[in-house]
Amino acid sequence: MLLLLLAYGTTAAVCLVGHRRLGAAAFPLATLPHLATLVWLVSVAGGVLDGTPVTAELAWVDALDLSITLRLDGFGLLMGLLVAGIGALVSVFSVGYFSADHDRARIAGLLTAFAGAMLGLVWSDGLLTLFVFWELTSVASFLLIGTDDRSATARAAALRALLVTGTGGLSLLAGLILLGIASGEWTISGVLAADPTGGLVSAALVLVLFGTATKSAQVPFQFWLPGAMAAPTPVSAYLHSATMVKAGIVVVARLAPVFADDAPWRPIIVVCGVASILLGGVRSLRQQDAKLALAHGTVSQLGLIMVLVGLGTPATTFAGVAVLLAHALFKASWFLSVGAVDHVTGTRDLRRLHGVRRLPVLAATIVLAAASMAAIPPTLGFVTKEGALEALLEGGAGWTGTLALVGVVAGSVLTVAYTIRLAVGVLGNDTDGSHANELHTPGPALLVPPALLAAAGLVAGLAAAPVGGFLARVAASLDPAAGDSALYLWHGLTPALGLSALVLAGGFGLWWISRPATREAAAPRSASTVAYDRAYEALLSGSRRITGSTQSGSLPLYLGIVLLSIAAATGAALAVDRGLLDVSSFPIANSPLEVAICLVTALSSLGVILARQRFGAALALGGSGYLLALVFLLQGAPDLAVTQFLVETVTVAVYVLVLARLPQRFSSAPAWAPLGVRIALSVVVGLSVAGFALHASTAREAPSVAEEYLRRSEPEAGGRNVVNVILVDFRGFDTLGEITVLAIAGAGVVNLVAAARREQRRKHLDDGTDVEDLSGRSPGVWR
Amino acid sequence: MTPRPGITPSTILSATVAGLSPVLGMIAIYITLRGHNAPGGGFAGGLIVGIILVLRYLTDGPDALRRLPVDPVVLIGVGLGVAVLTGMAPLVVGESFMESAIWKFDLPLIGSVKVVSSAIFDLGVFILVSGVVAAILVALSEADDEARRGLDDRPGRSGSQGVDR
Repeated sequence: MLLLLLAYGTTAAVCLVGHRRLGAAAFPLATLPHLATLVWLVSVAGGVLDGTPVTAELAWVDALDLSITLRLDGFGLLMGLLVAGIGALVSVFSVGYFSADHDRARIAGLLTAFAGAMLGLVWSDGLLTLFVFWELTSVASFLLIGTDDRSATARAAALRALLVTGTGGLSLLAGLILLGIASGEWTISGVLAADPTGGLVSAALVLVLFGTATKSAQVPFQFWLPGAMAAPTPVSAYLHSATMVKAGIVVVARLAPVFADDAPWRPIIVVCGVASILLGGVRSLRQQDAKLALAHGTVSQLGLIMVLVGLGTPATTFAGVAVLLAHALFKASWFLSVGAVDHVTGTRDLRRLHGVRRLPVLAATIVLAAASMAAIPPTLGFVTKEGALEALLEGGAGWTGTLALVGVVAGSVLTVAYTIRLAVGVLGNDTDGSHANELHTPGPALLVPPALLAAAGLVAGLAAAPVGGFLARVAASLDPAAGDSALYLWHGLTPALGLSALVLAGGFGLWWISRPATREAAAPRSASTVAYDRAYEALLSGSRRITGSTQSGSLPLYLGIVLLSIAAATGAALAVDRGLLDVSSFPIANSPLEVAICLVTALSSLGVILARQRFGAALALGGSGYLLALVFLLQGAPDLAVTQFLVETVTVAVYVLVLARLPQRFSSAPAWAPLGVRIALSVVVGLSVAGFALHASTAREAPSVAEEYLRRSEPEAGGRNVVNVILVDFRGFDTLGEITVLAIAGAGVVNLVAAARREQRRKHLDDGTDVEDLSGRSPGVWR
Repeated sequence: MTPRPGITPSTILSATVAGLSPVLGMIAIYITLRGHNAPGGGFAGGLIVGIILVLRYLTDGPDALRRLPVDPVVLIGVGLGVAVLTGMAPLVVGESFMESAIWKFDLPLIGSVKVVSSAIFDLGVFILVSGVVAAILVALSEADDEARRGLDDRPGRSGSQGVDR
């Protein structure tokens, strides 16, 4: 299993790295891992369906108990077959669809990478493994939607999809972690077996459902999916109808049998699902672009599957799995057919399409796919929709089940209506002979994959009994009680059959009535897209405002805030336990020399304050630094003294370099800080820092580490200079961090100076300023 | 030689500093290596290198900093690399991160020599600090030089080619 994922990864890497040379060979290459997966899945299918999952585990971060945990059960087998099977067909289709104008190797590589991530997702057992693959599919989807990177619409749609699914991904992660904490298990199977309950679990489930709703395009997050149609059609067929958007359903399906009875689960799923069913159906009726109509239909269908698997009774779980299979087959077929139509005629506009019906294979494919989508017997679409209605009629899920039934029936009416409209729109027109001449016959690569998918839908419908048996064993891996379910092409005159007939009649009627209204209607902009865009804009402008109001660019203000914070922190610490500060225990001085040096240091500091010129202040500051080094020396800290001397020396030199670019005299103080304020601030900071230093040296409660360090310095670290040994050995990690900061700071200075020079040079070129003048002003960063 | 405004170039001073530089460099390395047993260490050593550069700058002007044999930014990277690799080396033999090793061996003429792996770490600190100080000095002196001399409109003028001598 891991090897297969590796094969996908390698193929993707080969495509992406060698992408200039690969060209047309990329898609054939990309079918190879799919074929390998199919062969492997078929070879293990028997055992897996009998209830012995295949597992694999790869240790990842042992210290965190993180590992890649995969588990192939019946449901994973079905999803794997879909991902690899449709993946292979999409690759074949792509050979005919993409021309040399496209960056074929890039698309093939990303599709392969996506397929690998998707397989990982459906096979994941580890909670965190699931999340990692989940995010990988989001990223692959982002890159694929943005394939046409010169189109602003495509870029915006890609970003929107990424942000929506990415936000959902974070929510899912939080939910999974809470589940892991609540149950103490970090695999899905473990969590399900532990069946944790409580408030934590309810919170976790809400978070998980948020994530699944974004990924599977459920109301109110459905809006990214139609936008994602900016991707090339094979990509849409694969990611945005057959596989990736099912990721949310996969997670829901795995959790539902155990968690559906938890309070928030069913209401959330059913309300969102039914809303998606209806909204998607209504919107689909109003699209003029065949592909967009399909996308809205997908939202509707995903809502249906979500409701079914989400209800979590054995019957609905089984029905959900069955509808999932049917949907993958007919929707992928539809998308690929529309792609072929687009390729042949150059348009997908339902008002302009002509003459498609003269292409027999394509037309037959579309009819079959439409029949399955509208649930007309004897297709798989019909068989599974019957199963769904039957499961819902069976009840067992309270008021949510009833709501679901009403929603599904209403949604099915809409589905029939938009399917007829779509099929008629694509095939119906053949009035204008001139357009027909422009058609070129599509090659087998464009015809065979959708035809195969559509035919599979028909055959599976006719062979309802064995397919039902297979699906029952698949569903049994989710919920053992679903194992004895079955599908029937004909099971007598049941209420479900009556409903189906009603739905077909109602759908036909709805189509007939709405025909004039939807013929020319332009689809309105989705309210949630607008809401999303507004929220996104507000976020950006809000952060700009916050940055603008907090980052004034005034160095005195920054300095004032930093100093005040220091004073507040140290002052607060002192105020909390001031009782400990016992000044009388300090000797005034160790020697007269010390007193003298301190006095001179103080004078020198005073000189810094009183100096009128920058240069004088810099020298005085350096002087007080040297004197401080002397104090260190007197206190018996030669290392500190040496470093202090050297630092002061280099600093003064750097000052001189910088000062050359600044005005000689200090600029006047900002209006908010008159002399009094500045003095008060200085005194407060000085007092609190000095008080803190005094206090810290008397506040020791634990024994000093100094003795320990002194004792261990020579034998363990091989050095007699304990200061240095602490720096490079005992506390070496700290030093490593510090020199990293130093390196970053150095790079920062170099770049800031370079940026300032560039700026200056550009200004000079722009307005021809007399540059000699610039040395007197303060350009760039030194402002 | 670009004399700095206000400073009369002094051949004697320049020659002295040029002669002293290698000696000071040796001292910097000595200070770094002896740090394990006596005051000193990589940080101090690196700062001494910085002081050498300051002296060269004072006597020879910005040209002195342009003629550096290595790009200071490279030094920063190398120093950090040496420090990190020294820290990670014990992992290879199964020890914990930054565990130090002590080797003792005898060299002819010099006698018994003790090498501690953390000295190599300190050497990394030395290289890094030298690089940071040098990079800052070079950047600032270039900017200073440019501002003084006025901007030259010739495109693509890079720092390594002195313009008006």
